[in-house]
Amino acid sequence: MTPITIKKDQKLKTNSLMRRMFKQWDIQMMVIPALIFVFVFSYIPMYGVLMAFQDYSIYKGFLHSPWVGFKHFEMFFNAPEFWTIMRNTLVISLLKLFIGFPAPIILALMLNEVRKASFKRVVQTISYLPHFLSWVIVSGFVVSLLSTDNGSINILLQSVHLIKEPINFLAIPEYFWSILVTTGIWKEIGFGSIVYLAAIAGVDPHIYEAASIDGASRLKQIINITVPSIIPVIVIFMILAIGNLLSAGFEDILLLATNPVLRDVSDVLDTYVYRIGIQNSRYSYATAAGLFKAVISVGMLTLANLVARRSGNSLW
Amino acid sequence: MSRTSFGDKMLSFSIYFLLTILAFVTFYPFWNAAVVSFNNGTDTILGGVTFWPRDFTLDNYEIVFQDKRLMNGFIISVLRTISGTVLAILATAILAYGMSRRELIGRKYYMIMCIVTMYFSGGLIPSFLLIRSLGLMNTFWVMVIPGIISVWNMIVFRTFFLALPVGLEESAKIDGSNNWGVLFRIVLPLSGPVIATLSLFTAIYHWNDWFTASIYINNIDLLPIQTKLQQILNSNIMSDQMGQMDSAALGRMAQMKSVTTKSLSMATMMVATLPIICVYPFVQKYFVKGVLVGSLKE
Amino acid sequence: MAKQRRPRLLLLITALMVLSLLAGCGSGGNDSANKPVPSPENTSNEGGKAGDAIVLGEKPLEFSFYGNYDWYSMPVWGDDLATKWIKDDKKVNVTGINSGGNTKQKLNTMIVSDDLPDVIWGDRGADIENMRANGLLVPLDDYLDKYPNLKKWAGESTLNMLRSPDGKLYQFPNWYTSQPNGNAGYLVNKKIYEDLGSPPLETTEDLYQYLKLVKEKYPNVVPLEVGQKEGIDILASAFAENHPYRFNLMMAVPEGNELKSIFTDSAFRESLQYSNKLYREKLMTQDAFSQTKDPVQEKVTTGRIAVFASSSPTEFGVMGDSLLKAQDPDAGYIMIWPVHKEGLDKNKIFPGDYNQLGWNVSVITKAAKDPEAIFAFLDWLTGPEGQSVSMWGPEGLYWNGMDQDGSTIFTDKYTSDPEGLAKVMDSTVNFQWAGNTVYVDGVKSKFEQTLPEEKRNWETRWQLEITWKTQYNTTEFVNLDPAGDSEEGIISQSVFGIYEQARSKAVLSAKNEEEVLAILDQAEKDAQKVGYDKLLKYKTEKWQENLKNMKQ
Repeated sequence: MTPITIKKDQKLKTNSLMRRMFKQWDIQMMVIPALIFVFVFSYIPMYGVLMAFQDYSIYKGFLHSPWVGFKHFEMFFNAPEFWTIMRNTLVISLLKLFIGFPAPIILALMLNEVRKASFKRVVQTISYLPHFLSWVIVSGFVVSLLSTDNGSINILLQSVHLIKEPINFLAIPEYFWSILVTTGIWKEIGFGSIVYLAAIAGVDPHIYEAASIDGASRLKQIINITVPSIIPVIVIFMILAIGNLLSAGFEDILLLATNPVLRDVSDVLDTYVYRIGIQNSRYSYATAAGLFKAVISVGMLTLANLVARRSGNSLW
Repeated sequence: MSRTSFGDKMLSFSIYFLLTILAFVTFYPFWNAAVVSFNNGTDTILGGVTFWPRDFTLDNYEIVFQDKRLMNGFIISVLRTISGTVLAILATAILAYGMSRRELIGRKYYMIMCIVTMYFSGGLIPSFLLIRSLGLMNTFWVMVIPGIISVWNMIVFRTFFLALPVGLEESAKIDGSNNWGVLFRIVLPLSGPVIATLSLFTAIYHWNDWFTASIYINNIDLLPIQTKLQQILNSNIMSDQMGQMDSAALGRMAQMKSVTTKSLSMATMMVATLPIICVYPFVQKYFVKGVLVGSLKE
Repeated sequence: MAKQRRPRLLLLITALMVLSLLAGCGSGGNDSANKPVPSPENTSNEGGKAGDAIVLGEKPLEFSFYGNYDWYSMPVWGDDLATKWIKDDKKVNVTGINSGGNTKQKLNTMIVSDDLPDVIWGDRGADIENMRANGLLVPLDDYLDKYPNLKKWAGESTLNMLRSPDGKLYQFPNWYTSQPNGNAGYLVNKKIYEDLGSPPLETTEDLYQYLKLVKEKYPNVVPLEVGQKEGIDILASAFAENHPYRFNLMMAVPEGNELKSIFTDSAFRESLQYSNKLYREKLMTQDAFSQTKDPVQEKVTTGRIAVFASSSPTEFGVMGDSLLKAQDPDAGYIMIWPVHKEGLDKNKIFPGDYNQLGWNVSVITKAAKDPEAIFAFLDWLTGPEGQSVSMWGPEGLYWNGMDQDGSTIFTDKYTSDPEGLAKVMDSTVNFQWAGNTVYVDGVKSKFEQTLPEEKRNWETRWQLEITWKTQYNTTEFVNLDPAGDSEEGIISQSVFGIYEQARSKAVLSAKNEEEVLAILDQAEKDAQKVGYDKLLKYKTEKWQENLKNMKQ
């Protein structure tokens, strides 16, 4: 008796679900076509993650490559470099998160305080220019800036007598993280601020007027009005950034850390996968490392989302 | 506004000061790249070309503009950027609006389904086989269609939509609009800043992306300009690969390399990036405080 | 509520996964089903029709061409004088397939989807050997006897070396040679050298003393420029006889019949101690491990270096020499005989190397409709007429016919119109797919000798006087690298990582000579841990096979 009622219940439930969905067909039709699209272009190719459990060969193809279980994961976790890579990935990511994440927000807040429209426009435009220089060009600039032979930084430090002999910055592991993070901020700060400027543009000017009549200083207005009104955007980006903690960088590191002496501090997950996996066509190994990264990332994203939900802003 | 305290002045001053420094520091490398592109290539090698061309020439640009393929790539890039951006923003906005409706059944699962794609991907080979079986290989649309739905953009859109005052939609619904009507008649017109921002991002993505074309397009006439630029830049870092070769090969390579110089690649880069950079000033006018509120009052 | 939701989520995800899997298998299945189907017409024995060789121009030939380099982009066929002539006269049309700066991935996707181009042009090695082993390439043996040029100019031993393990020839070589070539060595700034009294520069000690002198007298000059660290490798050649820097790249040094560890090789160890000393005393480039090519070129062309050790110093040397001479006729660059450690025979010091196989190869894939015609074209291209047309344009402009030795005869325009000639040569550099070093170098040096001394090319002079005499024949060491996804390949990647790091640490971080040795000893230990021995055995085997093939 009982099983039947359950079945009936479920049927009822699905029926009512279908009915309810049909009732809001206009909203569902906004979402479903796009999701089919996502399914086709993102989910169908996803069988590729299974390559992590194969010895994939481009000649044999997916169906005929042998299955090897967790072999590539074991190799990855047992690689002598594994712990160094994980440490570097996390340290560089956290540095980028704590310093690189707030930087564009601060820039956006500063730009918002500029009353002179022409000055604002010029600074805004200029600050977003470096985004368009490829890393090849940017790294070329950084290397020549830091060069021991006529590098501007060394000349500057020598002329103010801070150092006697030029320092070979890119050969000293201790300096590398700072150089990397600074370069990254420099390149992306202006571009990153755009989305926050868009958020700030949505704030009601009357609130400022009221605050100003109440005698609140500009700094107070920033802290009490501007920042709270863009918090939702900040929180969402923060969640996404935490989900990306294992993506510490790729091209920037590849091009700035050409000196092998830096490898102990510069090797991160993505550069390692590229060097070992892609360059040598070891697809399965690269996929295994990528899968590991994705699982951890989604885990962290979920955690971040959970915490953020308390503030009322969350991804889902 | 007349009462400006000392603290406000200090704040104002330090902001102007910091922004001026930032502007200078970020401007120089770009300026220098431009200067090099206007300087004689052989002279550039001697070093010391900084703020102003020493040996001014238009030769580099002449070569770039004479290259039929580069100009062709330019047109492809423009077409791709416009069609890709318009379609993507429209499709993503519709999806995002649907996802922002709290009454949407299955909202959470839909969201998770989208987010998963940001982290898990099957990699290049399965995607390639898919694109091939869909018949998109070697077509213009392979650069447009697969990128129409961007999950990241959807999330940003949705965040902005969620921040819109709830009252708006309620009043529209009373007027008899359904959700599509609300989206197109009320929500989108009020979303100037975010549409501007995301259009900019999408346009820049389309303009800069060289990878898609390099994999899916064999026909040289369909290659966008950035793919071409990528190769020119690559030929400058060729030396990395050169270490692995024997010196005889090295000599031959050097011979071949003489065709592309640093100045030439800088000129190509200028031609390839200036158009998209010029888009920004048009976008900027949407970042004026109160756009939203102003239009609300009408 | 929450409890009820979870199973539904799981269900959804499972359903999606299953669906995607099914869909995936579908497309994957299609792909592998239509994969290894060699078209019958290709495998049919064309050797049977021997004698009726294809004559270019009788029938139009059309094929697609893929250059397997990130930087390579094939110019439009027929846009320049040379290829236009080939298109009109020989009825050959080539369509380029673009790598889009993304070679590795592009080639792999072409293999996966069975969309191969007709001809692939790239480095010898694992990529090509894998394609061969999986039956994607067309053997060339049947055509070899029917067409005269490749067989004649490359010679048996080179062709034997190019043969794959199945004994067949698949690779058409480019810039193959039978005589030494290459430019590795030491460039010296003439002005500084003469100002300092032209001291002897024969031994490593001489060099050290000279560099010290330079640093003292010319504080703004880099005493020893080592470029992007390749100069450090070159120095290893000074500490042993018959020890070209290729051994560093191989990470193996021959000793008797075996290849031994590079970390225990005394020449390698000594050279790093020497480099470390130069680095500490600031006698060599301080940022050799991080600088890009541009500053190196800048320093050499402006004369801000005293000595430049490089695998191809003439590349910048030519330009630097003419620029410096323009300012001061006494300035410029000279090359010196490679330095050696005291006690070694200076005639057995080889900084660089060459191999008979040349630079790279073209292979014809089974996608080609008429592989024999393509071979006929490549064979023509590598012969005297093909070389002349592709180097100096169609006949009648800068050259006219051949002399009785078969060498190209240049017209007066060749000397009177250098700009036009340079334009023609520039437009065809990216079409040099089947370069014939012996022929071209022969023609060029024959022509140089007819010129008065002051008009002779700077580079040619030093090549004849020094560099060609000091390059070692390393043909026996080609193709030692294992495939990237094999066991040895994985070891090789690890050892390479250890090697790179140890070398840079030994030069940059070591505080004294003992530390250099300690770093290298540690590297040896680490390398053994990841299986270096196995790699060396593999390389030794390959080397011995090569020796056998060469004797054939």
